[in-house]
Amino acid sequence: MVEVSEKAREDFFSEAQEIIEVLSRNLLTIDELQRHGSSDPSLINEAFRSVHTLKGLSSLFGAPTMGGLAHHLEDVLDDLRLGRVDFDNTVLDLLFRAVELFTKVLAIEKAGGVQPTAAVDELIDQIRRMGATPGPSADDQVNYELDPGILSVLTEYEEHRLRSNIEGGLRLFKLRVRFELATIDRALEEIKEQARKLGEIITYLPTGESGGIETIELDLLMASGHDLGTLVGALGGDNVIIEEVPRRRAGGVSVAPRPMARTAEHHPTGQAPDLVPFEATLAMPNEQLASLRSVSQTVRVDIRKLDHLMNIVGELAIVRGAIARMAERLHNDGHRQVGTELMRLHRNFDRRLEEMQDGIIEVRMVPLGQVFDRLARVVRQISHDVGKDIRLVITGAETEIDKLIVEELSDPLMHMIRNSIDHGIESASERDAVGKPLTGTIALNAFQKGNHVMLEVEDDGRGVDEKAVLERAVRLGKVSPDEVDQLTRAEILNLIFLPGVSTRDSVDDLSGRGVGMDIVKTNISKLGGVIDVHSEFGIGTKTTITLPITLAIVSALMFRVAGNTFAIPLASVSEAIAFDSAGVRQVDGRDVISLRGTTLPICRLDELLGIERSAPHPNRSFAVVASLGTRRLGLVVDQLLGQQDIVIKPLGKLLRDVRGFAGATELGDQHVGMVLDAASLIDEVLVSSDIGLRSGKAGHG
Amino acid sequence: MADLVHLERHRIARRENAGRGPVREFLAIGLGGQQYGVELTGIREILSLPPLTPVPRAPRHVLGVCSVRGQLVTVIDLRRRLRLSDDSPPRRARVLLTELDSDIVGLFVDEVRQVMRLSESEIEPAAAAMGGEVSDHVIGIARPQGQVVVLINLSTIVPR
Repeated sequence: MVEVSEKAREDFFSEAQEIIEVLSRNLLTIDELQRHGSSDPSLINEAFRSVHTLKGLSSLFGAPTMGGLAHHLEDVLDDLRLGRVDFDNTVLDLLFRAVELFTKVLAIEKAGGVQPTAAVDELIDQIRRMGATPGPSADDQVNYELDPGILSVLTEYEEHRLRSNIEGGLRLFKLRVRFELATIDRALEEIKEQARKLGEIITYLPTGESGGIETIELDLLMASGHDLGTLVGALGGDNVIIEEVPRRRAGGVSVAPRPMARTAEHHPTGQAPDLVPFEATLAMPNEQLASLRSVSQTVRVDIRKLDHLMNIVGELAIVRGAIARMAERLHNDGHRQVGTELMRLHRNFDRRLEEMQDGIIEVRMVPLGQVFDRLARVVRQISHDVGKDIRLVITGAETEIDKLIVEELSDPLMHMIRNSIDHGIESASERDAVGKPLTGTIALNAFQKGNHVMLEVEDDGRGVDEKAVLERAVRLGKVSPDEVDQLTRAEILNLIFLPGVSTRDSVDDLSGRGVGMDIVKTNISKLGGVIDVHSEFGIGTKTTITLPITLAIVSALMFRVAGNTFAIPLASVSEAIAFDSAGVRQVDGRDVISLRGTTLPICRLDELLGIERSAPHPNRSFAVVASLGTRRLGLVVDQLLGQQDIVIKPLGKLLRDVRGFAGATELGDQHVGMVLDAASLIDEVLVSSDIGLRSGKAGHG
Repeated sequence: MADLVHLERHRIARRENAGRGPVREFLAIGLGGQQYGVELTGIREILSLPPLTPVPRAPRHVLGVCSVRGQLVTVIDLRRRLRLSDDSPPRRARVLLTELDSDIVGLFVDEVRQVMRLSESEIEPAAAAMGGEVSDHVIGIARPQGQVVVLINLSTIVPR
């Protein structure tokens, strides 16, 4: 019982979240359209409907704060879509604030805690005060040969749309369409989408006529500025019959409502299709239409279920390995034919397994647009608050990445964007003085590059003041004064990722407290990502994040040290080299070797991890070069085993204090191997001392 | 994976204790040459010793990690926790799986002997006589058939 209600709650949260996201996206689009002086009534209507659903859900799940907010917001949106209240920036600001508040209230509802009742009440109060001027009373504007049957079933909104379309001098058309029941959802969306270019579909009703059990016939009422011929050309087809609804003759005295069938007489083309009066449609309960519409093509799945499936795939991969070994043994033991057949089966199994793995990974993928929408809201809000005019340009919102990564990305990106707004983009007067356009630009770009997703946050602001950063780093003791001259520009820029070093000295509300970029870096490396910053003083700053596409399966380099097998994610390995221990030199009490003219600090992994070794170190060993941003560290290992796709499993709570490992992975034959966490090892060895800053001469060009 | 011998002993123990009021079931285990008891309700499964991977930098009482049907399990050496001698694992060594804070934890034991059904009256509460750290983990002492069995508490024996 508990499980059922918890699952239902989970569903409620994710559905509410989705609704809020859709609402936010619609508002952003409306905002965008407003700026260009246009509008799309269907967006407002959609926003109204989503808030309406939210209200219903909230009361169903006993979330009164959210329900109350939704209730009042619904009223406002209703007024807006019916044209009782004008859409202006004040309204839009209010709606955006409501979205923010919804997000907060939902999070609290989920995690438990005290709801910000005061803030909610304040917003509700403002919503109330906005009030509505009474709309135009129903009059005889509708002088069309429309059946009163249809008029009586129009919702208030539809009536409003009908009226404003007629007032706009548009013509009315009736589209009789026939759809397959199974695909009515999609087909209806399609025709709406097509019709949107030519006009607006005001309402649709089933005719009650049916060509068979599998099909349904609908009448669509559409307003358009085009003529019948254009519409027929664009929308007509075997299952779409279009006719114009004639306007009543001027001074028409027809008092008695005419049945729709009679309108055929007035039809300009003279054709008389066998029309069925609209009254017939009333017999069809609306619920039936609603139930047909709920036939959805998507399911919502808990990500943990996908993790579980991925684990099974991992185990199957181990079975696959065992089968391959068995096939080989059979083959060598004189059972050639059976061995060959088993090998063929194995190859088939291998292919299918790979497909399955790809399939599961694909299901886990969500577009980055989910986060970007949230960020767009933040930019709007903050730039408004700090009084800067900022344009956010987003590209690559459709780039897909693992759902879990998306969740973790939102905070770091938010912080980076805030940094750009607060410290990057200058005030309008400053910009004017240096001849930059008054409107600042922040670009948020995403694109896929092999197995990685690249994210860039770029601003055309003042850039990082390297001198100030360096001074601060020296003052904080992060860099010793005699090191200053040896640092490259890239190294200086990367100092902003050290704790306490901020890009600017000011302390304010949003960021710039000197914490921030180090936290961003930590969060990104937790995801197996790397962050880098490029900046030109006075011109702008670009921060680049490189992330793996998925966390579920990782390509890793396998190697052995003192009899133990280890894995290290390839994302954090730049190369692996063979080296002779004779080439090791000591610099600052640390082992280094020369690698293509640069100095690479090295560290014996067995000594670093405290593994006892029974045999002495071999003369010739290997260094796995782990890299994090511009820092590099050579981990000395005994033997390289090659590359393997692994599923990383987290160490249990008992081992949570053990540093240096990302988890463990199955190796086959029941064994597991430890997976190194390159970022924490590099931090441990390099960052705790100053040499790390000088290690990455080959870093960025 | 408890074998038939254990089940048979279990049945015998059940018969011997029949009709003596509320009883608790303990699994008798051998650790460093001595006999201990852990409450059976806390044990999910008994495994023969899986291949263990040592975890560098882990506390000394962690023997390593292993995979049980795809799940990662940390294995604790109860001998080290109880400051007993920890010679190389004997042939009859087993791992008891128990749940701790929603993690599955493995407890390494030298051997699993039998299931004991003990009524409350047979359990002598942990006496003040047993000083030191050990007493934290001890529920009490039982003396079935004249043997001395120290009953240990699974929820406190694993350090967190």
